[in-house]
Amino acid sequence: MLSPPLSPHVIRATFWRTWTVTRRAYPWSYFVGTLMLGVFTVGLAHLGLAAIGGGRVAGDFVTATGSADYLGYVTVGAAAFMFVTHGVLWAGKALIQEQREGTLGALLVAPAGRLPYLLGFAAFAFTAIVLEVSVLLGCAYALGVRPAASGPGDAALAILVLGVAVFGMSLVLSAVMITAGEAHITQNSVFLAIALLSGFTFPRRYLPGVLQWLGELVPTTAAMDVLRGVFTTGAGPAPGRTAVALAVGLLYVVVGLLWLPRAERHAMERSY
Amino acid sequence: MIETQDLRKEFRDGRTTKVAVDGLTLAIPPGRVTGLLGLNGAGKTTTIKILATLLRPTSGTVRVDELDPLRDPKAVRHRINLIAGGERMVYARMTGRENLWYFGQLYDVPRAVLGPRIDELLALVGLTGAAGTVVERYSRGMAQRLSIARGLINDPAYLLLDEPTLGLDAPIARDLRRVVARLAAEGKGVLLTSHYLAEVEELCGHVYVIGDGRHLTEGSPAELTARTGGHRTVRVTVPGASPEVEAAVTAFAARAGTVAGLDRAGDGALVVSVSHPGEIAGPLTMAIVGAGGTLAGLEVTEPSLEDAILALNDAAWLVTA
Amino acid sequence: MTDRCLACSLTPEAEPVEHRRAQAGGGLRHTAKVFRAEALKQHRRVFGSRLVVFSMLVWPLMQLAATYYTVRPLAATPGIAGRWPLAADPERLLAFLATGALGFTFFFSLVQSAWHFSFERVTGTLELLFLSPAGRLAIVVGNGFGALVQNVWLFACFMVALFTALDVVHVAHPAMYAVVFLALLVPAVAWGAFLNSLLIFSRDSAFLYTLLDDPMWFAAGVRLPLFALPVWIRVFGSVLPLTGSLAVVRGALLDGRTIGELAPTLLGLGALTVLLTLGAVAALRLGEANAQRTGRLRLF
Repeated sequence: MLSPPLSPHVIRATFWRTWTVTRRAYPWSYFVGTLMLGVFTVGLAHLGLAAIGGGRVAGDFVTATGSADYLGYVTVGAAAFMFVTHGVLWAGKALIQEQREGTLGALLVAPAGRLPYLLGFAAFAFTAIVLEVSVLLGCAYALGVRPAASGPGDAALAILVLGVAVFGMSLVLSAVMITAGEAHITQNSVFLAIALLSGFTFPRRYLPGVLQWLGELVPTTAAMDVLRGVFTTGAGPAPGRTAVALAVGLLYVVVGLLWLPRAERHAMERSY
Repeated sequence: MIETQDLRKEFRDGRTTKVAVDGLTLAIPPGRVTGLLGLNGAGKTTTIKILATLLRPTSGTVRVDELDPLRDPKAVRHRINLIAGGERMVYARMTGRENLWYFGQLYDVPRAVLGPRIDELLALVGLTGAAGTVVERYSRGMAQRLSIARGLINDPAYLLLDEPTLGLDAPIARDLRRVVARLAAEGKGVLLTSHYLAEVEELCGHVYVIGDGRHLTEGSPAELTARTGGHRTVRVTVPGASPEVEAAVTAFAARAGTVAGLDRAGDGALVVSVSHPGEIAGPLTMAIVGAGGTLAGLEVTEPSLEDAILALNDAAWLVTA
Repeated sequence: MTDRCLACSLTPEAEPVEHRRAQAGGGLRHTAKVFRAEALKQHRRVFGSRLVVFSMLVWPLMQLAATYYTVRPLAATPGIAGRWPLAADPERLLAFLATGALGFTFFFSLVQSAWHFSFERVTGTLELLFLSPAGRLAIVVGNGFGALVQNVWLFACFMVALFTALDVVHVAHPAMYAVVFLALLVPAVAWGAFLNSLLIFSRDSAFLYTLLDDPMWFAAGVRLPLFALPVWIRVFGSVLPLTGSLAVVRGALLDGRTIGELAPTLLGLGALTVLLTLGAVAALRLGEANAQRTGRLRLF
């Protein structure tokens, strides 16, 4: 019997399997390692603010961001970056991992759709990331960071927008990785590129115009603007940017879903 | 000559101690293929790794041309090499030629010698045409052949072969056996472990049989088969045999202290098979003819090393059980 | 596979040349050969794909740009000339961060190559290295050196061009360029040898890899001046050779320090280099001895 397109037990089984395997295989090194970049980025901002800025931040920063809270700005960016990279890493690498372990063939033969599998993985990734980001935010809180928030509904919306962006990016990246048979260079290039283009730790207005426009091509850029409205200025999500973020994110989801089956076929043909 | 004396190797894992090799005394002279056969996960690979300096024995001694591997590991390593079958231990990003060149540098092979030797080894393993291709694009068999060439790069005086033909295609395995025989004929000392007993029988001048790390027996393949009570099997086809013939065969076998197998072939002919250590083909046929039977076929199968090892294995199981 | 012509050069004489040469010594020449062999191996590994230009050039540049933009709002504040004079000039601030990026590329490329080296345990080639008579230290040093040169040359060239364009370099004496070069290269190679030795015997090489990424740039003052760091982080950073290397590079290139002024740092760096090399030797000895005893190529 064929499973329905969104069979909950495939989602649950994928979640459970990944959770168990991860817990057994990477007990602490994984957790500690993934947390470090965020903690050190916030740490850098904290120390730099005191020793270099003398507790103050440049006027053009306040103009560009609408906030004088440099540390809060960097913290929100670091937490969002952690959310994005880990989400993309988890969901996007799911298939290439299967390919490497030789289980991709078994998976493709199984009569389950691709979407529930990926959603199961995304659910796992989301749970893991929420835990990781909470620890990071806890550290930042200890350093005295108090991000603004325009309300729980706005916060949920901002996180959802970022989640859509992440899911779309991970689908497309997954297809790229499977097609290229390579994960390391692809993923690092994308992470470093969005760190520069989407304005996680500095206002995008600092960038040359070309790069500012290039940033609009990745869904995280508009999603970050939404996040900034909610958590940095407290002004609430800008409706225009929210629409752009959702549109670009969903476009990535569609492209990824259309491309993935082809990429998988291509990968299977290449391996034999 | 490689010689070991009372070699013993224990592995400790927490509180438990596993004895992998227990009091082995071996000799691997130059110019001969010496076989190492094992029963029950016998410690063959452990023994080979000790000889290759990769493992240090818990007690006992190893001498390679009078050199002590513990005292003079470098000199010993120059003289030996190891080829393990079934594994492709070469660098995937380098070409076949580059792999051989790389290992040639590790073994400090002089430049003037290395170039021609690489060409020759590539020809030997049939990879001349693929010499410039990166190993990533090799088939499994090609990579394995390259690792055989790698094992010969230092022109070792002693070659340790751990299941070298495992997973190789039959024609390549046959060629490899020829090469091994040739290397021994040219004066190299070869130690061979293999699951393929026919291979051991074909190549080895002397065979050690070990079980649970202990020395069970040794000798030439012929000696081993004889000593372990190797039985010849005589098979006679008797068309239209009468019950008298069957009775005569059964009585003959009883007198010889064995049991006769009686089967009917598709065309109704009686197929008699009797296993016995002695020369019984003559007396058996006499008995059949004497009872009025006619012979349509006679086949005598000599005992094989495989039979001998199976017999030894059964005995070993009886001992341990 | 053919067995023709086997006798021509495989067994030219009763005792092959290399056996006699080994007995006659010739350690240095053999070491040089191992160096070359490892360099080729690294070259093939690193340049297995053309995409390597990303990790060699594009990544460090993107990282440098993001860091610069992140730190800039702190430097463009009133009174910066009193707190950190260098940062008052945006070009010198960029040069400061660029030297940090260059140093980090040097040292982190060795973390990466060590991580790759640790896979040789899994693929079985590590056992072949131990089967050979090649010097173990020569292998790990050669491996690190080969990886370093091939990973950093492009970024290093780019940085030289950047410094020239920014016109921020003022050295006390032309010989200081050589001091800078050696202060980066020599400790980095020792660092690479140490990590190679450690990682090939380590059960969890991924953990060490993670541990030496972010904490290293943070504690070594790659993106912040050392005075901005609390004392306990500076203490931790002082055991990283990158910290000393960067102090020499920045002191000589950006602050025009003389060799006399940098002598204490250089001495410390030299001591650290010796310690790392000794550590590598010890890890190799212990690791191989342990492998010979347990049959497992693991130290801990």
